[in-house]
This record gives sequence, structure tokens and C-alpha cells, in this order.
Amino acid sequence: MQSFDVMVAGGGSAGIAAALAASRAGARTLLVERSEQLGGMGANALVHTFCGLFHPDVSKGPQWLNPGIPTEIGQRLLEASGRNKPDLMGRVYVLRHEPAEFARLATSLCAKEPALTVRTGTALVSLERNAEEWRFITNVAGQMTEATARRVVDTTGAAALAALCSPASRVVAEGDKLYRPALVCRITGMAGPLDENAPLQLAAILVRAVRTEDLPATAMGAGFRQSPMRDDEVFMTLDLEGGGEAWNPLDSAAIETVKQDAHKLAQSIWRHLAANHPLFATSDQIIMPDQLGIRESARWKGDYVLTAQDLRESRRFDDEVALAGWPLEFRETARGPKFVYFDKPEPAGIPARSLRTHEVPGMFFAGKCLSCDHEALASVRVMGTCLATGQAAGRLAADA
Amino acid sequence: MPVSATPELVLELIRDHQLLEAPESLTVDTPLLAAGLDSMAVMQLLLHLDDRFGVTLDPPEMNRENLATARTLGDFLAQKAGRMRHAEL
Repeated sequence: MQSFDVMVAGGGSAGIAAALAASRAGARTLLVERSEQLGGMGANALVHTFCGLFHPDVSKGPQWLNPGIPTEIGQRLLEASGRNKPDLMGRVYVLRHEPAEFARLATSLCAKEPALTVRTGTALVSLERNAEEWRFITNVAGQMTEATARRVVDTTGAAALAALCSPASRVVAEGDKLYRPALVCRITGMAGPLDENAPLQLAAILVRAVRTEDLPATAMGAGFRQSPMRDDEVFMTLDLEGGGEAWNPLDSAAIETVKQDAHKLAQSIWRHLAANHPLFATSDQIIMPDQLGIRESARWKGDYVLTAQDLRESRRFDDEVALAGWPLEFRETARGPKFVYFDKPEPAGIPARSLRTHEVPGMFFAGKCLSCDHEALASVRVMGTCLATGQAAGRLAADA
Repeated sequence: MPVSATPELVLELIRDHQLLEAPESLTVDTPLLAAGLDSMAVMQLLLHLDDRFGVTLDPPEMNRENLATARTLGDFLAQKAGRMRHAEL
């Protein structure tokens, strides 16, 4: 039976950073990812912007907020896109990236660490704590493998490890309150890059199509962004109501229904734009993501619950291990984000106590399932912050 | 019954429907796009403009000049409504 110092479950932004940090600290580390490709939302859901990588005070230009892996990955993605600085969008810096590039980078960074073992296409089916170690079983095509680790890190985005070993520590938000999911797709063969007026024109075309009932009202959840690497590709992000109160990101049937409906809607929006906007007239393909973009599902209740007030007041902690700088970006409807900025343009600390609980020794959590309230999640869920909390959890797990 | 668009009424509509944060700090000369009016908020705005004033922006009229501020938007819509009335006569 294989034994590791650290097992990281979930190979998205937080898990990649956690696995790199733990293995670079010398821990024999296993990273388990259920899909075939690393990168999580930033690769498999075609999310193409890293938020939370920069200091919230934009008056001094872009300054990397968290040293180490978040800065390293951010710089590499910026270089890969051939640009020298991120985009200033209103009052925040955003790094546009190519999802496939993030997956490639994550894979190559992980492959360079001799202490790190990566297992994609691998599901975790059980986890239990025995004396001083964790015992777990993974499943690949029905083949069950048992292994052990001294510490584990939950970067599943859904506190899946809490469900397996400590359900009482899992906080599941209610359906009507959950941040709405999104479908991000890629449209190829565009006649040229979106100019500054194109998103406004597209908005008007969609509104008119809704008024004439050529498209359903849900088409108004669509937004468009130019690929950072290709002039002939755009990303369409479709914010979804997800069935309102019925939305349940932990229920595979609900996800499947929402996904199928969203695919149909995305197809009809694309066809309508191809017939009505010159830049889309030449477009030849709409590529669907492997996963829906899930903004919120379930998280851990740790020794400290980070609050929106902590963030807004830029509160700092003696035991802080990462910094948050992204505004509270509320997504309770599919009608676009509502931003609430920190009171001052200063980052807030994220304490180590939000990444662990004394109830479950040897367990750490980061990314979307760290311990925070629903409102604070509107800030800390973004991928740049997930890299930072993932790195912190990986280090804590390696040191523990 | 639609009313005639003015910069002040456009601003009121943006405030009432909370299309931008900190509505109390907005004026008719606040740059709307820099203040965070994104494309989804623009869609809501177009629907509300149509409902309130019976006139809205067509895709070719959608540009950063017309949507710069509540003033440029209100003036543009008033002029467009005037042209439409003229055309009907």
C-alpha cells in the first residue's frame, strides 16, 4: 500500500497550489483529480480570468498580492499571453488567461516536483482517520486502490472530504441564496477581435432578440470577452438562474438539467449572433466546457469563520497565511455581478484558523471550501485567492 | 405612457433599478462605463429605457459616446425620439 505525507483532493487552482507547496516543502504528496485534466474551473469550466491576484490599490499599478505560487503562476500566464500587464477593469486588475494554457502550466509545474504524484481521472471514494493517519480509497475505472497519508487537504471546491469523514463540519448553503452557476463556452473563427463597442452592440442585439421572442429572456445572462491569445476566438459567459431555489450544485441530476438547458441556450445565442453581428458572421464553432462554472456549493466550518466584515475592514490576523484583495462580487442573480469594495484599498488577511478545524486533526481546506460566511465567499472564491489559500494549506499540511 | 427622455430621468432610472453601485454618488456626468456599467447592466438599462421612454438604442447606436454619461444618453434618446416623431408626421 502506498503511503504519502500529504494527500490533496481536487486539482483546481487551490489544489494545484497546495500540492506544489507541500511537495516543494519536502512532503511526499499525492494530488487526486476526478477529471482528466488539472486546472479546475480555470481550465475545465473555461473560466478565463484570474481575479484576486493583485493588490486592491490600483493607483500604484498592478502589484502581485501573494508571493510564491500565485505570483509564479500569474507571471507565467501573463507571459504566455504575450502581454506585460493585466487588464484594469473598473477598479480592479484582472488577468485574462487561456484555459488550455493554465492546464498545461499546472501539469508541467507538477511534473517538475519529484516529491509530487498526480493522479487525474481518479475519484476518491472513501476517507477515514485511523490513529495518526488517513486511509483512503481511490477508484479508476472500477479499480479500487487503498493508500494512506498523514495529512489531507480538501480543495474539492465542495468540502467533499467533510462529506466523507465529518458531515457535521460541512456547511451547505441554501438553494435560493447560492451564487448562480455559469456556462462558459468558446466561439472560434471570429472575423476579428471584439472592439470596444462590440460588447455594447451585442447587448443591444440580445435585448432586441428577447423583445421579439427570437431568444428567451435567459439570453440576457450572456457576456463576451476576447481570448487573450487569439484574435479569432471569444469566450461567451452565460450566467444561469439554475432553476432558482431548485438549484443544487451537489445534485448530479440538477446539474445535468441545468447544463443541457444552458448548452441549448448557448447554441441558439451563437446562431443568432452569427446572423446578426459581422464579427460573428464567420464563426465556425461553439465549444462547450467539460464542466459548469460553480461559484458556491458547500464549505468547511473551521476554527474561524472569515466574515464579509473582516474583508471590508481589511482586517489583519496574527495567524494570517494569505491575503484577499478581490471585492465582494455577489452573484445571487444571473443579471450580472454586484461589487462591494473593501472600505479602503488595502488587502485583508486570511487566518490559518480558516483553513483547519480542531474537530478534524490532520485536515486542511482551501479554495472555495475554506471556512467563511456566504458573503465573504463572494470575494475569496476567485481563483487568484484560491491559489493563495491553496498554497497556505499545502504549507500547513507539510509542516504539521 | 412613455415620457420624454432627459438626462435627469435617465439618471433616476439607473438609480431606481440599481444598475450601478453607490447610486447616491452618481450625477448626470458620471462616466457610466468606468463606474462599472457592464454589458449585463447595459441590457437591463436598454429594457428599462424602452419601457420608460418608448425609445431605445439600436445596435449601430451602441457606442461609448452615446453611453458615456446619463447626459449623453438622455440627449441622444430625446433627439432620436424627436426624429421618430418627425418621421411619423
